[in-house]
Amino acid sequence: MPSVSSAQEASAALAAAHADGRRLRIGADLTTEGLDRILEHDPGDLTCTVEAGVRLSQLQAALAATGQRLSLDPPGNPTIGALLARNASGPLRHRFGAPRDLVLGASLVLGDGTIANAGGKVVKNVAGYDLARLVCGSEGRLALIVRASFRLHPLPKASRTIVVETEDAPGLVATLLRSQVQPSALDVLHPGRVLVRFEGSERAVDAQAAAVLELVGGVESDDAPWDESRARQAAAQGRLRFTPGDLAEALAGLGDAVVRPTAGIAYTAERTVETDPVPGQALVDRIAAELDPRGVLAA
Amino acid sequence: MPLSRAFVDELRAVVGAEHVVTEHEQLRVYECDGLTGHRAVPELVVLPSSTEDVQAVVRACTRESVPFVARGAGTGLSGGATPMAGGVVVSLARMNRILEIDLDSQRMVVEPGVANLDVTRAVAAEGFFYAPDPSSQQVCTIGGNVAENSGGAHCLKYGFTTHHVTGLTFVLPDGDVVELGGKALDPDGPDLLGAIVGSEGTLGVVTRVTLRLVRTPQTIRTLLAGFATMDAAGAAVSGIVAAGVMPSAIEMMDRLTLEAAERAASPGYPAGAGAVLLVELDGVIEQVEDDAAEVERICADCGAFEIRAATSDADRALLWKGRKSAFAAMGRVATDYYVQDGVVPRTRLPEVLRRIEELSEQHGLLVGNVFHAGDGNLHPLVLYDSGAGETERARELAEAILDACLDAGGSLTGEHGVGMDKACSMPRMFSERDLRVFERLRRAFDPTGICNPGKVIPTPRLCGEVPGPYRTHALERIGVAERL
Repeated sequence: MPSVSSAQEASAALAAAHADGRRLRIGADLTTEGLDRILEHDPGDLTCTVEAGVRLSQLQAALAATGQRLSLDPPGNPTIGALLARNASGPLRHRFGAPRDLVLGASLVLGDGTIANAGGKVVKNVAGYDLARLVCGSEGRLALIVRASFRLHPLPKASRTIVVETEDAPGLVATLLRSQVQPSALDVLHPGRVLVRFEGSERAVDAQAAAVLELVGGVESDDAPWDESRARQAAAQGRLRFTPGDLAEALAGLGDAVVRPTAGIAYTAERTVETDPVPGQALVDRIAAELDPRGVLAA
Repeated sequence: MPLSRAFVDELRAVVGAEHVVTEHEQLRVYECDGLTGHRAVPELVVLPSSTEDVQAVVRACTRESVPFVARGAGTGLSGGATPMAGGVVVSLARMNRILEIDLDSQRMVVEPGVANLDVTRAVAAEGFFYAPDPSSQQVCTIGGNVAENSGGAHCLKYGFTTHHVTGLTFVLPDGDVVELGGKALDPDGPDLLGAIVGSEGTLGVVTRVTLRLVRTPQTIRTLLAGFATMDAAGAAVSGIVAAGVMPSAIEMMDRLTLEAAERAASPGYPAGAGAVLLVELDGVIEQVEDDAAEVERICADCGAFEIRAATSDADRALLWKGRKSAFAAMGRVATDYYVQDGVVPRTRLPEVLRRIEELSEQHGLLVGNVFHAGDGNLHPLVLYDSGAGETERARELAEAILDACLDAGGSLTGEHGVGMDKACSMPRMFSERDLRVFERLRRAFDPTGICNPGKVIPTPRLCGEVPGPYRTHALERIGVAERL
């Protein structure tokens, strides 16, 4: 399987496919494993720029050496390109957002081989169209991602996890959200458990853990429940979105699921039924027709 | 070309005759936004009251090939809402209703004409706020914030408008209406919300916005540190960021702006300071206390000669009043000023500030610096007197400052947007090829090119045939020899 090791090689491969009117399946006909360099990490700026084939674990290890991280913890160990293309997130989504929230810029190769830069490498920037966000969740349909810049965070000095067994997860979540504690992660392992994670200074996580124990009970735990949460997310057969305030209704109809209540997302053990077409699909088709007129990157 | 009678009558039928402005004197109200140097009187202003109205208006514009621009409060600083001569302004001023407050979901649904601060006002008593807080938040509208991806002093911690918009009702230039996102996050498919927020009104018109609300923090601590030099203050900013402390805001002011602010608002800033940092921390009490101690230590290490903490809400308001009055106060120092909005990596702040000082001396014009230091977003104010023939020199100085930001790996604009103001500077940051790709995206939304034309992307008509020299894009320059 041909692996590209530079944007130019990717550009040549896509341009050739475009000329021939061929489809090119990323991950099958072409892989980005050779794009495996961490190009820049300036700890003082809390930003980094990496190539798309770098594995998330590899990036996290390099960042950890300077006490920093990319605050994304999806299950598995995706490449940076896949991370963006799937807009994949894990429990830390609660506080830090999804890849689309942390990406600062990207270099892309369009279906016709055109290489384009969008965004930048600074934490604040509104110049030009935000193509780096646009490709998040695109599943590779609009462009091949070859490099990206991210906003980073310091590794927390301390963390605490509280697990609460409950038959009223919605009530418990509502109580926590009306309090002034600021968890980094808040998951419902449906049915029956709520996980809360605090990160920050020693005193801050102690105080918040104590506040939660007093508010809603529960026990302190190690990180094992988070591993379980990610494993169950990875094994999920479906994904549902719901209005966050309607958590009770959403849970009522669910079997086993990992639920991120403030995002309004549930990863379900059972297959979810596709209902409506994706809103905006017609618009996505129009964008694809402009960026990839011959459908080289079409699914 | 004057608009046809039939076209005007059609719009009157859609929105009501009293909501179509055609009188020249009234039209002049709309001739510019906050960037007053660019002016054009529109042919017509129309004030729709619903998504359906907007749909009918833009359909008519598309059919007749009449360019249009959507407009909020007109406080933008880059000419994003400057009308096209012969075109239509779609003012969203009447669409100013809060449609739904859903605190259980921590969301609010509003029309685009709602003022930014009114979102927070509507939920403050319940212990929530809306995080993006541009300086013009009393009047600027959510629709304008969506167009510009507005930030504000506290976006250092809370992020920009794009991090707080979860859903949009969006009218494409051909009149198609798309519902994107909603109260839940992470819709399937490409991030259309991300592409639309910050597109400066060039892709369509937003008619309904779902916003994230944030729980009011347990405590807020505001610190003020006085330094002898900008260099020392810049080093403190880098130190705070590198230490992993995440203040909600870090603002910096230099001697010139401090003196002006003192005269205007008497905030009682440290006398004789060459630079002042305003640092705000919020969150749970223990975290804020620990972070405040760290910030004080770093400032002291960097040579702060005075560090003060606001001890009451009134104190805090006064410290911020000085900062917020700084721009207006500069109006008393010089007859004209030109504001830049460049961004630099935070580690490069001291070096770029020194460069700005050199450039200021070389050009013989004063530059005031009052800016969002925590995210490296500079707002150098180039002071000049147009009556004394200094305009051209001021423009050169402003461009040289922008080049210094780009050379440091930064950006043309952190929050004001490109608009008309910086469209011709885009080739300094993006290659011709990058810009052609931007055009392709735009064409997907607006194939006939009638939606806020002449903004964001440079055109030969706008900029002349010769764009400025292209400087390697920050993402190209990193680490490798290849040229993308």
